[in-house]
Amino acid sequence: MQVFFQTIVGGVSLGAIYALVALGFSLVYRTMGLVNFAHGNVVTVGAYLASTFYLSAKLPFAIAMVVAIGVTAVIGLVIERVLRPLENRDFDLMLIGTIGFGIVLDALVIMIWGATGRAVPSPVPAAPLSLFGLRIRTYDLVVLAIAAIATVLLVLFLSRTKRGTAMQAVAMDHEAATAVGIHVGRSNAIAFAIGAGLAALAGGLVGPLLYVNPALGGTLGIKGFAAAILGGFGSIPGAIVGGLAIGVLDSFAAGHFQGYSELVTFLVFTVIIMIRPTGVFGERTVNRA
Amino acid sequence: MRPRVRLSLGFLFLLAAGLWFLPYGLSSYAIHVANVIIVFAVLAVGLGLCMGVGGQVNLAQVAFFGVGAYATAILTTHAGLGFWLSAAIAVAATAATGLLVATPALRVQSHYLGIVTLGLALAFTNWVTNAQIAGGAEGISNIPVPTLPGVDLSSEYLYYYLELIIFALALAFGLFVVRTALGRRMRAMRDDALAAGALGADVPVLRMTAFLLASVYGGIGGVLYAGLIRYVAPESFSIANMFLLLAMVIIGGRQSLVGCVAGAVGLYLVRELLVDHPTFAQMGYGSVVVLVVVFAPTGLAGLPPRIRQAIARRRGRGRETAAQLAEFRPYPDLSEISLEGGDPLLSIDGITKQFRGLKALDDVSLSVPAGQIRGIVGPNGSGKTTLFNVVSGLYRPTAGRVRFAGADVTSRPPYRLSRAGMSRTFQNLRLFGDLTVRENILVALDRSRTLSSWRYLIAPLAIVRRDRDLRRRADEVLDRYGLTAFAALPPESLPYGTQRRVEIARAVACRPTLLLLDEPAAGLNGDEVRKLGEMVRSIRDTGVTVVLIEHNMGLVMNLCERITVLAGGKVIAEGTPAAVAATPAVIEAYLGDSMDLPSEVTS
Repeated sequence: MQVFFQTIVGGVSLGAIYALVALGFSLVYRTMGLVNFAHGNVVTVGAYLASTFYLSAKLPFAIAMVVAIGVTAVIGLVIERVLRPLENRDFDLMLIGTIGFGIVLDALVIMIWGATGRAVPSPVPAAPLSLFGLRIRTYDLVVLAIAAIATVLLVLFLSRTKRGTAMQAVAMDHEAATAVGIHVGRSNAIAFAIGAGLAALAGGLVGPLLYVNPALGGTLGIKGFAAAILGGFGSIPGAIVGGLAIGVLDSFAAGHFQGYSELVTFLVFTVIIMIRPTGVFGERTVNRA
Repeated sequence: MRPRVRLSLGFLFLLAAGLWFLPYGLSSYAIHVANVIIVFAVLAVGLGLCMGVGGQVNLAQVAFFGVGAYATAILTTHAGLGFWLSAAIAVAATAATGLLVATPALRVQSHYLGIVTLGLALAFTNWVTNAQIAGGAEGISNIPVPTLPGVDLSSEYLYYYLELIIFALALAFGLFVVRTALGRRMRAMRDDALAAGALGADVPVLRMTAFLLASVYGGIGGVLYAGLIRYVAPESFSIANMFLLLAMVIIGGRQSLVGCVAGAVGLYLVRELLVDHPTFAQMGYGSVVVLVVVFAPTGLAGLPPRIRQAIARRRGRGRETAAQLAEFRPYPDLSEISLEGGDPLLSIDGITKQFRGLKALDDVSLSVPAGQIRGIVGPNGSGKTTLFNVVSGLYRPTAGRVRFAGADVTSRPPYRLSRAGMSRTFQNLRLFGDLTVRENILVALDRSRTLSSWRYLIAPLAIVRRDRDLRRRADEVLDRYGLTAFAALPPESLPYGTQRRVEIARAVACRPTLLLLDEPAAGLNGDEVRKLGEMVRSIRDTGVTVVLIEHNMGLVMNLCERITVLAGGKVIAEGTPAAVAATPAVIEAYLGDSMDLPSEVTS
C-alpha cells in the first residue's frame, strides 16, 4: 500500500507538468481547431531558456521563468503569423506546417545549446518532507502550486476578460465571431502566445525534475498531447485530469515495466483513444452532411 | 496528346538508361549514398500512397521501415534463416504491423491519427532499444549478405542494380494503383470520406488498405536497408528520421508519387552536401517544409502545372472558349415495367433522433412505394435533412427502424446502403474537389469491393480492362448529362448549377433503386429548375424511386406524386400535392397567418 501511494505521489508532479503542456495544446485547439505539433519543441526551448537565465545569467528562478515565458510567447506569435494563411482552410497542412516548425526549433536548440544536456539544481531546499510515511519532495509542491495558479489564471482570463471571452467566441464559430467584429487572427495569435507561454512554464518547471536535453520536449509534448486527448481535447478540466492520469500511469509503468514504460504508456493511450476518442470530458461533435 | 506520350516515353527511356549507367561514374562512397537514397525513395512512395493519396496521416512509416529491417536481422542472425526467406517473412510481418497500426484510423483521423501513429512509432523504438532479441541500443550486426546466384551482392555496385529493379517495380505498382480504381477511390476518400462512403466506397477497408500499402513499402525498404548496411540499430528508426521522411514527401509533393521520389532524392542529396553541418541542414529542410505548406501545398510536383498555367494565362486565355453545358438527353423510357403496387421500397417506422436536448425527429413514419417521386417539404429546421441522414446511414436513430428493399437496414453504414441500391446527393454539394468531373463519375460507377483489390497483384491486366470499361461508361454518363465539355475540369471551377448536375449524375451513376435528392434546386435559376424536373422524371422512368427534399414549391407541386410535410420533427401531413396544399396544418406551419401561395419560397 505504501509503495502504491508513493508511486502516485511520484507521478503527480510530472503529471502537473503534463497538465500544463496539455493546457497549451488544448487552448490552441479550442481556439482554432489545430494541434500544434511544435508544442513539444517549444517546451524544450522554454526549458533551455529558463535554465540558461537561471544558471548562466544567475537570475532568480522566478524571474528566469518569466523571461523564458516572454521569449517563447514571441515564438508562438511567429508560428501563428506564418501559418495564418492556412487557418480554417486545411488542417492537415497546418499540422505538417507545425511539424516543420518543430524541426526548425529542434535544430535551433542544438545549434545554440549543443546536443548534450544539463542538470538544473532545485531552487528550493532539497530535503524531502515526510507526510503519513510518504516522502514528498518540496519542489514537487512548488510545481503543483504553480501549475494550479497558472490554471486558475487561465480560467479567469478566459471567462472574466473581454479578450478571453472573444477567444471563446472564436472557438465556437469563427465566422460569427468575425461578423460581430472580433479579429480572429489576433485572437488566434493570443491563443498561440499563451499556449507557448504555458509550454515554457512547463519546460522551466520540469528542468529541476528531469535532465534538460534536446529530446526533452519530444517526450513531454507527446505525453502532454496524450493527456489532452485523454481528458477530452479542448477541455480545460480535461487537460488537468488527463495530465495527472498520464503522470500516474507513467509512474506505475516505470515501476512495473522499467525500460518498457514508454511502450506501455503509448499502447494504453492508443487503446483508450480507440475506445473513447472524445476523452473523459470531450464533447461528441456531430458531423453535418 | 500523341507526341507528348512519345516525348515522355523517350524521357523515361533516357532516365532509365541514365540510372542504369550511373554506377560507372560513381565512387564507392557515392554509390553507397545512391543505395541509401533508393531505400528512402521506396519509403517515401509508401508514405505518399498512405498520406498523399489516401489522406491518412501516418507518422509510423519509420516504424514500418524498422520492423522490416529488424525482422530481417533477427531472422537471419538468431533463427539462421536464409536472407530471402527472412525478407519474405519480414515483409509479411510489416504488413501485419501495418494493419495493426491502421486500426486507430477506423476511429480517429487527422491530428488524432497523427499523434497515435507517432506514439506507436515511439513505442517501437522503445521496444527495440530495450529488447534482448533486438540487441538493445547496440542493435544487431553481422546480417549475412543476401545471396543471388551469379551476383555478388556484397558489392555495393551490384546491390545498386538489385535496389534499382525493386524500386522501379515498386514505383510502377504505386503509379498503377494511383491511376486506376483503387487509387481513385482512395483519393475520393481523402477529399471527402463521407461522400465517398455514400457512393459505396468501403471507407474502413480503404483506410486499412492505405496503411497496408504504406507498411509493405516500409517493409521492402527495411529489407533493402538490412541487406545494404547489414547492421540495424534503434537510431536509424528515430522520430528525427520520420520527420525527414515526412519533409521529403511534403517538399516533393505528397499527392504525386514521382514528386515523393524527387523529394527523397533531392533532400537526401542536400543533406549529404551539408553532412558536416547537420543542424543547418535540419533547419533548412524544416523551413522549406513550412514554406512549402504555406506557399506551394502541392510541393515540387505541383510546380510544372502551375508554370504551365501561368504561361497559358500570359498567352491569353482567348483561345479556348468557355466550356458549354449541353442538354440532358432523357433516358429511353422503360416505364412499361410495372412500378405500381407491390411492397414499399422504403419504409420508415417510428424514427426518433435526439441530439442532446433537441428532438430533431419525433416518431416519423412514412413509406415510399417503388417508382414514386416523393417530395419531403417543411420549414427550415423541421428535420428533413436529419431524416435523410438517418435513412442513408450517416446518423444512428435514437429509436425506430428503416426498411429498404425488404430488409431492415437501420444504422447500416452508408457504403453498405449504397451497395444495396440507395444513393443520395447533399444539400451543400459534396463533390470530390481534387478529382476531375470524370473521376467523380468514375468513383460512383465503380461498384467493386475494395477487398477484391488483391487482384492488383495477380491480375493487373484485368484491372486495366475493367478501368477501360469504366471510362467508357463514364463518358456515356457525361454525354447523357451534357457534361462532356467539363470532363477534365475540377468541379469547383464549374458554375453552381452545373455542379448540382454533376452531383446528380454521380448519384445516378451508382445505379440506385432509390435516389435521395437533398434540395436539388437550391441555387438554380428558373430554366435550370425546369430542366431539373425533366431530368428527375426521366431518371424515375428508368425504374428509380426518387425522394426529394425541396423548398421550391413550384417544382415540388409539379414533380412529386405524393408529398410528406414535416414540421418540428413530426409528420404533419401526407398526400397528393393538391391535398397537402389545402391542409390547414400545412398552411399554418408554412405560412403562419399569411395565405399567399408559397411558389417563390426558395432556400
